[in-house]
Amino acid sequence: MSASPATPLLAIRSLRAAYGKIEALKGVDIDINAGEIVALIGANGAGKSTLMMTIFGRPRARSGHIEFDGQDITGVPTHDIARLRIAQSPEGRRIFPRMSVAENLQMGADATDSGESDRANSLERVFALFPRLKERMTQRGGTLSGGEQQMLAIGRALMSRPRLLMLDEPSLGLAPLIARQIFDAIRTLNRQDGLTVLIVEQNANHALKLAHRGYVMVNGLITLSGTGNELLQRPEIRAAYLEGGRRE
Amino acid sequence: MSANPAAQTSRAPSAAFILKKSLISALVALVLFSLMIGVRTEAGPDGQLTYWTRFGDLAVMVAAVFGGSILIELFRQWWGPVDTARVVPAPVQNALAFGGRLVAPVLLVFTFLVPVLFYNERYILDLAILVLTYVMLGWGLNVVVGLAGLLDLGYVAFYAVGAYSYALLATNFGLSFWICLPLAGILAAFWGVLLGFPVLRLRGDYLAIVTLAFGEIIRLVLINWQSLTGGPNGVTGIPRPTLFGIPLTPADDGLAAMLGIEFSPTHRIVFLFYIILALALLTNWVTIRLRRLPIGRAWEALREDEVACRALGINTTTTKLTAFATGAMFGGLAGAFFATRQGFISPESFTFHESALVLAIVVLGGMGSQLGVALAALAMIGGFELFRGLDQYRMLVFGMAMVLLMIWRPRGLIGHRAPTVFLQRKEAISSDLVKEGHG
Repeated sequence: MSASPATPLLAIRSLRAAYGKIEALKGVDIDINAGEIVALIGANGAGKSTLMMTIFGRPRARSGHIEFDGQDITGVPTHDIARLRIAQSPEGRRIFPRMSVAENLQMGADATDSGESDRANSLERVFALFPRLKERMTQRGGTLSGGEQQMLAIGRALMSRPRLLMLDEPSLGLAPLIARQIFDAIRTLNRQDGLTVLIVEQNANHALKLAHRGYVMVNGLITLSGTGNELLQRPEIRAAYLEGGRRE
Repeated sequence: MSANPAAQTSRAPSAAFILKKSLISALVALVLFSLMIGVRTEAGPDGQLTYWTRFGDLAVMVAAVFGGSILIELFRQWWGPVDTARVVPAPVQNALAFGGRLVAPVLLVFTFLVPVLFYNERYILDLAILVLTYVMLGWGLNVVVGLAGLLDLGYVAFYAVGAYSYALLATNFGLSFWICLPLAGILAAFWGVLLGFPVLRLRGDYLAIVTLAFGEIIRLVLINWQSLTGGPNGVTGIPRPTLFGIPLTPADDGLAAMLGIEFSPTHRIVFLFYIILALALLTNWVTIRLRRLPIGRAWEALREDEVACRALGINTTTTKLTAFATGAMFGGLAGAFFATRQGFISPESFTFHESALVLAIVVLGGMGSQLGVALAALAMIGGFELFRGLDQYRMLVFGMAMVLLMIWRPRGLIGHRAPTVFLQRKEAISSDLVKEGHG
């Protein structure tokens, strides 16, 4: 499945980004091939979320390149990046709490909407994936449970029929059972529709099991990369991210 | 039985608790009122300060507070915890919901009939025009504050821009009201964009301060640019609107003479009434339409979460600017109407007080609710007139009413928002589903 084609869908080359004087990304290289699930794991403050935000142009890259489907998007305005059909489910879900579930989903389609039938198709797809959302159509976003809000955030991102879906900490603050449902949904999306996914996670175990390939980020640099299983077997990964640093 | 007392005391506070609470209230009242009411000061005949004490009045006030807080506590105890389902039975709720749907159409029909019903009551007609002006201003500001969530304390600036645009264009170039009206709207929208640019990155309190300053700047420019605006003297002799070029005057070419009816000054008032009604309804119609379009949805989403908006590919710059421009345009149209109705404008009409009043209408009505804003404008402007008999206590009554309203309906008169996306059919949302979640 991850037989790498000639050019990756998303190619990041020696990317640097900073908040004021604090450098958050110190030269990051990442490839994401079409049809792949790529996991980015690392500790708090390693720069994972910053990398995702930088792909979206906030903060702007100080140097380096981001190429999407052969096009340089390093300097493209944020709203235009979304129109290239790169979608993200941001950290902390960030759904619109006072708007209904239906309106939240519609918001995902508004910027890239190309027609009523596309919208209906996207909606069908989201409901097939998360039937719970269909039941809660008219409810306000803010009244949903944490897991449902995460489903809504992913569903909203899917409404733009993305070519690349970026998920920031989709399991954050969710019960293990709900987190598993979310991960299953991501796997389904990838298998059925061949959707390319970049997933940023602290829950390394889940993320690496799900992903075809993974990157490990430490202090703004990629320190390790490999297939999900390879990374899961590495003793330093197990020690740092999977066993809570315990030594037995 | 042994486990019950704890549960009972938590449910119903004991007499000692009520007494303690009331005593504290009385003590606070004593401290507050001892100087305000207990001591009366006045300038004596030679300009010296004379004072005397009024301990009797003070005692009455403190006793009233003490007794009042006991009553309130007892009432609370009797009422129990707030629970709509228990307090209001379902059939009554359904009846209310049905009645609620009728409010808007009934109000609209009644408004159309106002000039017919009150033809001979000039006072009511004038008041109705004033209320409608504020309804329109409220609806205009609602776009900026209610929908886009951009707190604008300087809305009166656009009202002023619209009024002066018409006044100056009409008096200097002799342009008619109907040509100047769209011009006033466009100019106000332009100023809205001009305000929008520097505040693009601001939100909340910071935005409010800048808009407040903007309102003051416009007013000060109007006062000081004497050669153009006439300064504090204002602009006089602003022409009245005409009906397709036919003036509503007693002259031979006036409307009354043409129709062969006797001239009455009320004709012009009724004409003005229908102009502002049409303008207000235009504002309402445009806002309702926009809310269902992606741009209106983007405004509301912007109010909720700016970061999420950007992530969804929404251009937050244009979204904010269009909100400012749309709101400002309606303010400008209302301003042009104000100028033609008054025939005279001066910077005094465009103080911060007006901005605050319009903002209060939007907040009281329920941010984003069209009907709520209309009802609030009616209550604020109409109510203000209603309490005119109360003289100096008018403001007191009014302030109290606003505080009480905000306690009981913290989201405004009409706090819910109507959904804009329907899938298969309209579904009524039960009230217990639409409360704000905290999870």
